[in-house]
Amino acid sequence: MNIRLDPRTKLYMILVVSAVVMMSATTPLLWSVRIIITLVPIVLLIAEKRYASTFRFFALYITALVLTFCFLSEESTGIIQSLLTGYCGIIAQFLPAMITAWYVIRTTKIDEFVSAMQKMHIPDGITISLAVVMRFFPTIKEEYCSIRDAMKMRGITLGGGSIVKMIEYRMIPLLFSCVSIGDELSAAAITKGLGGKVKRTSVAVLKLSAADIMLLSGFTAAAAVFVIFKYFI
Amino acid sequence: MADKKEHTIEKKKLGVRDFITVGIFTAILFVVEFACALLGYLHPIMVAALSVLIPIVGCIPMMLFYTKVEKFGMITIMSILMAIILFVTGMGYLGAPITIISGVVADLIAKSGGYKSFKKTILSNGIFSFWICSNYFPVVVTADSYRKDLIDAGYSAEYCDSLFAFVNYKTIAVLFIVCLACGCLGALIGKAAVKKHFEKAGIV
Amino acid sequence: MMNSMIEINNVSFRYKGSDEGLLQDFSLSVKKGEVILLCGASGSGKTTVIRLINGLIPHYYPGELEGDIHVAGHDIKETELYELAGVVGTVFQNPRSQFFSVDTDGEIVFGPENIGLAPDEIIRRKQEVVEEMNIETLLGKSLFELSGGEKQKIACASVSALLPDIILLDEPSANLDQTATADLRKTIIKWKKQGKTIIISEHRLWYLRDIANRVICMENGKIKNEWKGKAFSGLRAESIRNLRLRPLTVDNPFFERTNELTVPDIPDEDAIILENFFFTYRHIPYLFFRKKLTQADSDILSLNIPRLKLPKGCVIGIVGRNGTGKSTFLRCICGLEKTCPGVIISDGKAYKGKSRTDYCYMVMQDVNHQLFTDSVMSEVLLSMKEKDEQACEDILEKLGLFPFKDKHPMALSGGQKQRVAIASAVAAGAKLLLFDEPTSGLDLSHMEKVGQLLTDLSKTGSTVLVSTHDPELIEQCCDYILCIDKGQVGYYRVKEFCMCR
Repeated sequence: MNIRLDPRTKLYMILVVSAVVMMSATTPLLWSVRIIITLVPIVLLIAEKRYASTFRFFALYITALVLTFCFLSEESTGIIQSLLTGYCGIIAQFLPAMITAWYVIRTTKIDEFVSAMQKMHIPDGITISLAVVMRFFPTIKEEYCSIRDAMKMRGITLGGGSIVKMIEYRMIPLLFSCVSIGDELSAAAITKGLGGKVKRTSVAVLKLSAADIMLLSGFTAAAAVFVIFKYFI
Repeated sequence: MADKKEHTIEKKKLGVRDFITVGIFTAILFVVEFACALLGYLHPIMVAALSVLIPIVGCIPMMLFYTKVEKFGMITIMSILMAIILFVTGMGYLGAPITIISGVVADLIAKSGGYKSFKKTILSNGIFSFWICSNYFPVVVTADSYRKDLIDAGYSAEYCDSLFAFVNYKTIAVLFIVCLACGCLGALIGKAAVKKHFEKAGIV
Repeated sequence: MMNSMIEINNVSFRYKGSDEGLLQDFSLSVKKGEVILLCGASGSGKTTVIRLINGLIPHYYPGELEGDIHVAGHDIKETELYELAGVVGTVFQNPRSQFFSVDTDGEIVFGPENIGLAPDEIIRRKQEVVEEMNIETLLGKSLFELSGGEKQKIACASVSALLPDIILLDEPSANLDQTATADLRKTIIKWKKQGKTIIISEHRLWYLRDIANRVICMENGKIKNEWKGKAFSGLRAESIRNLRLRPLTVDNPFFERTNELTVPDIPDEDAIILENFFFTYRHIPYLFFRKKLTQADSDILSLNIPRLKLPKGCVIGIVGRNGTGKSTFLRCICGLEKTCPGVIISDGKAYKGKSRTDYCYMVMQDVNHQLFTDSVMSEVLLSMKEKDEQACEDILEKLGLFPFKDKHPMALSGGQKQRVAIASAVAAGAKLLLFDEPTSGLDLSHMEKVGQLLTDLSKTGSTVLVSTHDPELIEQCCDYILCIDKGQVGYYRVKEFCMCR
């Protein structure tokens, strides 16, 4: 099974999920709406064959829910219990937004995202910068790993006990690398015509499919139900 | 004369190189934010401490970024990107207006100093740091109703207080001030680091 | 005029705020379909010429520019860079920094998208380029998973997709192994057949033999010599050497695989013994403790070296194709791969796990990652357990770094940075020094300097392991050669033995 969603649908999903987690669920109905919309990205992740992360999220979410509902509703004053309640509460409340975000980040290609931004009439400057941000995360990871290796070899991973040095030794080489990569990257991108006056095209075809429309309307309905039952009934 | 005019126009407009610079530093800033936010899992107080940690840890990249800013728009775009990234990573959209407004204001302040004045840069960085507060918005906005729910559900008031003692609609004002102060302090530290390394190495 | 693609007339150039990279009264005229090879020492102005043609000078790198440059009818000074995108394509030296995308497909279509071609046309071009360059297997991958050679292929494809008449290559083989370099040769030959005008700036010359129509040797921003392609191929090895150029032919006995496994006979007391160097990239699930890797796991091992003796005080060259485990081997030796159970035994002492880090020191391929402080002096002091300024100055003196002791390491040249890293290794008291491709992208003089340095280090009692793709370096300084093949020792022997074979 392979569901390819439009990036715009995915962004809408995030919007709805983060709106819903902002409003606390007080009745079983509201809880079930919230759980159902959490299950959507989980199912989508399964369809993407990302079993391990799906399982982790699912287990975490269920544990948090079960703990919140069954065990921690009595007077819990002990430190461990109160901390645990705090975590479970926060997880149960905000994990849905994180799962959705994780799904979107894992399944969206940069050029799809960029062309979705273009379709939504976001200015080019922002689109280009955003594409660079996405491209740079793996670069930072690569550079950071080499720097960490070099630190290990010299035994200065802990900065000789000083937190300032610990940060400085990581940050300075990283910034030197990033700046020089950035300069070369700009030069290469410019010779390939980035930033011209011509309107950029894209081979990423964005079309709302049946699945997109289903999800869009489903999420709209869920949000509507949530708001109506919480504030009006 | 015509030549000169063209020259200034070209300087005012942002180019690919500027966009790429903004992208790179936004990515670094977000990595800093992400690393610091991981500490937030330890205890709620660490979440509150973000407004100290991020401006201080992120001060070197920010000040290096400021040395590369010469035109209006770069700081603004950075704030818009931060807003988008925070939204996409599930931090909610309520902080977006604050992030972007503080970005524009920071940009205007830096511009008034011609992007050269260090005093203006300090203030600008302080204002820009307000974006960190958008991390708190989901908790702050839900805090009141969340707390009520928890107590209704039988949680002890003691626990709820400890959870929300540091982050709530009252302390958010304090957190804003902390951000501003640490942003300014960070600017001083970052400037020193930039001088120590990047100016000495001759790359800025 | 129709016939001439590139006209550079009396150009002088100096980078803003620098006296380096001077071009003086440089003129060059290139006809359509010509292939030109630019060679010469680093800093002779090769890259500056490339930048003049693709317009990065003066639009991206500002400076003082005199003279005119016309490329395919465009006056470079008056042309915006993006207008040149479909006219001139450039393949840069560093594969990791010339990509804008994260995935291979996106990178190939990046240029055509920028110049606003219709999506159908872009897809057609992409298919054409992919077929032409045989890169079907690379599609749909992340660029961050590719090897240097594969990255460079994608870079070529991405330039090709813009269908430029002129293609520039700026030291494209600097980070490639022999096989990848040979592939690059094929790509250039294809372009030549399509009638593209090609200019290549390069130190490695062997793979461009018989491709170039003209060869230009530069010195201090001027043309020093110029040959027709055939005449250049006919130059004798000595004359090439006298020009301070790297050789035209590499008949390398070092890289060939042989079945004989001649292990040099070294007495135990004169050797550093490596035992149990096993490592796998495969993720093995575990509960609490990882199972120790042993030789029995041989089918999953990416590195499988049960026992190896390294003669003390020698330079040992490690050869082998990219991706066969050379770097992994080095990383395992100096203790960077935690799961490798390897033990280093020297003088009856065994170094395991973390203590390997104290015994060895690796100078990384990108030395920028291992410089942390704000002066050369403090960089070396950082490595000393007991800070001793006198000893530190002695080390710097020996490596010729004393005049730079207060400079910022990042303000130094590439070779000097390498020496700073070596100085910290010496200061840390490392006995086994590892070098990961220290000569990639260097010209002959710099390569010889590195070779000399390695020899000197071994004479002062350090043992040096150096992985390399450069036969010249092996010839110059290695005493032993170790070939790694599929994670195992392919062969291991004294160098002389190779030579007389």
